[in-house]
Amino acid sequence: MTSILEFSNISRAYTRGVPVLDGVSFSVAPGEVVGLLGRNGSGKTTLIRIAKGMLYPHGGSVRVFGLSPTENPVAVKKRIGYVAEDQILPLRMTIAELVDFHRYLFPHWNDALQKQLMDRFGLHMNSKIKRLSKGEARQVALLCAVCHRPELLILDEPAGGLDPAARREFLETSVQLLNREGTTILFSSHHMTDVERIGGRVVLLDKGKVRLDHDVDRLREEICMATFQRESVPDGAAIERMRGCLGVRMVRDEWHAIFEGTAESVRRELQNEPGIHEVRCVSLPLEELFIELVGGDRPAELKEGVGVS
Amino acid sequence: MDIFVNPSGELSLYRQIMRQITDAIAGGRLKPGDKLASHRELSEHLVIAPLTVKKAYDELEALGYIETQRGRGTFVCARLPRTNRADRDEQLRENARRLLSQAYLAGLQLPAVLKILEETDRELTGNPTDPAPQDQKKR
Repeated sequence: MTSILEFSNISRAYTRGVPVLDGVSFSVAPGEVVGLLGRNGSGKTTLIRIAKGMLYPHGGSVRVFGLSPTENPVAVKKRIGYVAEDQILPLRMTIAELVDFHRYLFPHWNDALQKQLMDRFGLHMNSKIKRLSKGEARQVALLCAVCHRPELLILDEPAGGLDPAARREFLETSVQLLNREGTTILFSSHHMTDVERIGGRVVLLDKGKVRLDHDVDRLREEICMATFQRESVPDGAAIERMRGCLGVRMVRDEWHAIFEGTAESVRRELQNEPGIHEVRCVSLPLEELFIELVGGDRPAELKEGVGVS
Repeated sequence: MDIFVNPSGELSLYRQIMRQITDAIAGGRLKPGDKLASHRELSEHLVIAPLTVKKAYDELEALGYIETQRGRGTFVCARLPRTNRADRDEQLRENARRLLSQAYLAGLQLPAVLKILEETDRELTGNPTDPAPQDQKKR
């Protein structure tokens, strides 16, 4: 199956020698919902901008619907819907004027969907953009992004700054679009429960690379955290060399190591390691996994000065 | 029937859905031939990805609990899968052993465990045999 979106070995730096993205590769199949995760500054927005053709990658290539977004910007943008983080809508316009503007740009504008979303969000055509609340402005941005029935919807922190009810409404709308239009969605978010709800797959960016690319449904079953005492192994690097290790950090006097595999199989395997005696293995919710993988210091930086307990 | 999911729960979402449907079938709240909500209805109701619902249904179908009739919907199978009796008894005994040892370690006695089993039975079947404790259980 051809992919909707394909990043191959993308790199990009804003300052020479300080890459924000450093060899990022993954692709998104039709109908998939991919949650793009990572700490602030991990390059999520940069990657999204590259997909949109708003930035050139310094290395590697991107294909959207099999096309280059910088060589075929119009052909690509026609088929994408995009809501940016803190999107700025023209304040002086009314919703009607903004919608007319979009309808003019996109020949396949769907009036029925537009009306349905206006009703659903409880918005009025003659409201001025500058009078809208943050949540309403986001709804207008979403409406403008989806009424031309894009094949690919890119949402950069769509729920950032929204209250829980508004966030849920945003998700409900996304789920309906998925159902009715079969849209492919790439969205970045810091709300892990939202990602667990609607994401089929997560891609976690860290230090310019893809740290984790996994099916959300299988995370609980195929990835676990093992904890064991600090003295059991000489250093973190020894743990990182073990099979299936995705990351390790020290928390107080214990190693927290993330492994691929079921809790049962990882525990069995670790107990065969010399030195390791008491191992506990648990599966983690996405939020905890995120923190374990990208939250703490890495062992290399931890070698000295760990005595804080 | 009502299905609830908790994204940060112990099980992944599709497993939560599978478990609730098999619980309902086991307790008779869903009967052979009953129609289930469509992928679309359930995903919109729960606000989760349609593919997650599809995955739960696919697995249940592979296990032989439900079947999809093209153009009509998804139904609880008329003939539910049965494991062979010896295996089933063995597995139940194993689970019973675990349940009892857990209860005894927690300082419970057999009557207390039996009471929990009865309460669970009412929960599963939705059939109050004794109305008083049922009321207490409803929050």
